[in-house]
Amino acid sequence: MRMRTIEISVGAFVLAGMLAAVFLVVQVSGINVSQSEQTYKLSARFDDVAGLRIRSKVSMAGVTIGRVTDIAVDTEFGEAIVTLEIDGAPGGLTADTGAKILTEGMLGARYIGLIPGADEEMLADGDEIIETQGAIVLENLIGQFLSNMGK
Amino acid sequence: MESEYLIEIEDLCLTRGEKVVFDGLTMRVPRGGITAVMGPSGTGKTTLLRVIGGQVRPDRGSVRLNGADVCRMSRAELFRARRDIGMLFQSSALFTDMDVFENVAFPMRVHTDLPEDTIRDLVIMKLNAVGLRGARDLMPSQLSGGMARRVALARAIALDPDLIMYDEPFTGQDPIAMGVILELIKQLNDALGASSLLVSHDIHETVEIADYVFVLADGKVIGEGAPKELQQHQNRRISQFMRGDPDGPVPFHYPADDLQYDLLSEAG
Amino acid sequence: MERMLRQVGADTLSWLQGLGRATVMWIRAAYRVPKPSDWMLVIRQVYSIGVLSMAIIVLSAFAIGSVIALQFYTQLARFGAEDAVGVGLALVLLRELGPVVTALLFAGRAGSAITAEIGLMKTTEQLSIMEMMGVDPLRRIVAPRLWGGIISMPLLTLMFNTVAIYGGVVVAVHWLGADSGGFWSGMQNAVELWDDLGKGMIKSVVFAVVVTWIAVYQGYDCEPTAEGMGLATTRTVVMSSVLILAFDFFLTLLMYGDFR
Ligand SMILES: Nc1ncnc2c1ncn2[C@@H]1O[C@H](COP(=O)(O)OP(=O)(O)OP(=O)(O)O)[C@@H](O)[C@H]1O
Ligand SMILES: [Mg+2]
Repeated sequence: MRMRTIEISVGAFVLAGMLAAVFLVVQVSGINVSQSEQTYKLSARFDDVAGLRIRSKVSMAGVTIGRVTDIAVDTEFGEAIVTLEIDGAPGGLTADTGAKILTEGMLGARYIGLIPGADEEMLADGDEIIETQGAIVLENLIGQFLSNMGK
Repeated sequence: MESEYLIEIEDLCLTRGEKVVFDGLTMRVPRGGITAVMGPSGTGKTTLLRVIGGQVRPDRGSVRLNGADVCRMSRAELFRARRDIGMLFQSSALFTDMDVFENVAFPMRVHTDLPEDTIRDLVIMKLNAVGLRGARDLMPSQLSGGMARRVALARAIALDPDLIMYDEPFTGQDPIAMGVILELIKQLNDALGASSLLVSHDIHETVEIADYVFVLADGKVIGEGAPKELQQHQNRRISQFMRGDPDGPVPFHYPADDLQYDLLSEAG
Repeated sequence: MERMLRQVGADTLSWLQGLGRATVMWIRAAYRVPKPSDWMLVIRQVYSIGVLSMAIIVLSAFAIGSVIALQFYTQLARFGAEDAVGVGLALVLLRELGPVVTALLFAGRAGSAITAEIGLMKTTEQLSIMEMMGVDPLRRIVAPRLWGGIISMPLLTLMFNTVAIYGGVVVAVHWLGADSGGFWSGMQNAVELWDDLGKGMIKSVVFAVVVTWIAVYQGYDCEPTAEGMGLATTRTVVMSSVLILAFDFFLTLLMYGDFR
């Protein structure tokens, strides 16, 4: 019967849609399995975080090890307080680890790069990273350059 | 308490656009007979059937069907009440995406839980009654105008309704089909005890089968009675219409300015 | 001046009236969960709305995917950033082009067909006779088309995205010789399940509701003449397209906008 053909093709249509969904989830977005694993939080103060966003990457030696989960401002000191979420259990980063705001490529997205230290002690959940270096803002650099030239 | 009348219309008033279609129309349709509604083209016969079916709401007045006021029914009640009404539209209005068989089966499928074989038998019987059993696999676009009307007729009577409203069932039928349809309407009425409301311009056929006739003009009933009586009516307007004389008090033209005036003012 | 104001007022009122009627239609048609027997009608609509739109969706997706890949590749190759082709392609498709282009094609292919079909049924009094038979055309004709459209469009969008990405792979990797590993891993690193795919699909669902609603309403409300049907069909395509683009802007603002 004709209705049967219709039902079969609708079945195939829905199946095709679901396969497409599976493809997009698995192959294209490559589901981040690590997300469900254990994480811990660190905080860091920067003098300038221009361009940094929530969900920006946190990486060490070019490998992503976490992400930014919150950006707040401390108006008293004029500093930004950034909360980082690091994958894995606490104990992998030394207490004197440094944090730097970097840029992917010339004009790419901002991310935080962590620089390993040499301390014996390790950072625990909720600790603060002391050694920080804020974003290099192009306008400031140009401004400095111009005023140096004027001297 | 069952009233003697199936349909009671009281003081019906309706304006569509600029035109006053009904202006205090009152009529009572008796139960169990064949009642004809006649009148010049454009007097609102089709509109009257739609008012009875609850599709057009009147501005004023009441329309009682089996004692229940159609105008006061909720949507659900109205849909319930319509299951017992069969209607043949002036345009056949067949469902263009279904073949002839499915068109006739449609009311049975949506309103009953009959098994497939029973539906098949019933549909074939209905199609046989209108002489189109052999056309059951055709699509509506493959039918002639007259055939389409007969399929629509078969669909209208599919559920053996209590009230069947026919809007000009004879138009476009050859003499044989006309005779068959006449017979069918009579039969349905006698065998099933259904009541029929018939709108038609074919005086001979109507006079032959109708038990009672209403003549409409100017939004009112201008005459009612047995067909033979009406043909002898002293009112020239009624007898003219019932005999089909071209000249008389019933105007042939839709109200308009004087013809001469119209022709002369054309450049304006 | 006063006449103009009056005209604007009258237009606004009739527009509001149209919106009101469309809403009433929507509520009456869809307030009840479909019965099993109604599902057959929905399936039939998924067929004529969704399955029959697949060909144009797949073809356009392939063409668009390969063209984007070509453009990205030629531009990015100058900086030696061929690996970014996959990222750019996937993000552009998942966030914007997939939902939007699918919806626009859907409006032209299925939306206009829905309007014309319902308009013809109205013009030939099929809706009217159905009412007289005690069958509500809102349930029988309108509701299955609404559900059919809302089910079909997100599925079509998923297919569009997949085929377009495949088109990009064919051009960038198989033809121009970009590195397959870089293409996929770059994509997988940058694409977020919820942020890109999920939000794109939300757009698609919103567009599905908008387009099918407009298409069905225009058919149901059209003037029952050949001319009225023609007008209604045109209106479906024009209104859908404008609203898709407008909704896209606001949804993007709402979901991706960062107002900090
Ligand atoms: N939707 C509408 N809008 C405005 N006027 C209408 C509408 N429908 C019908 N009319 C008017 O109502 C009047 C009655 O129409 P109706 O179709 O009921 O006539 P009728 O008696 O059935 O005529 P016929 O014998 O030619 O079928 C006509 O004058 C028509 O112009
Ligand atoms: Mg008529």
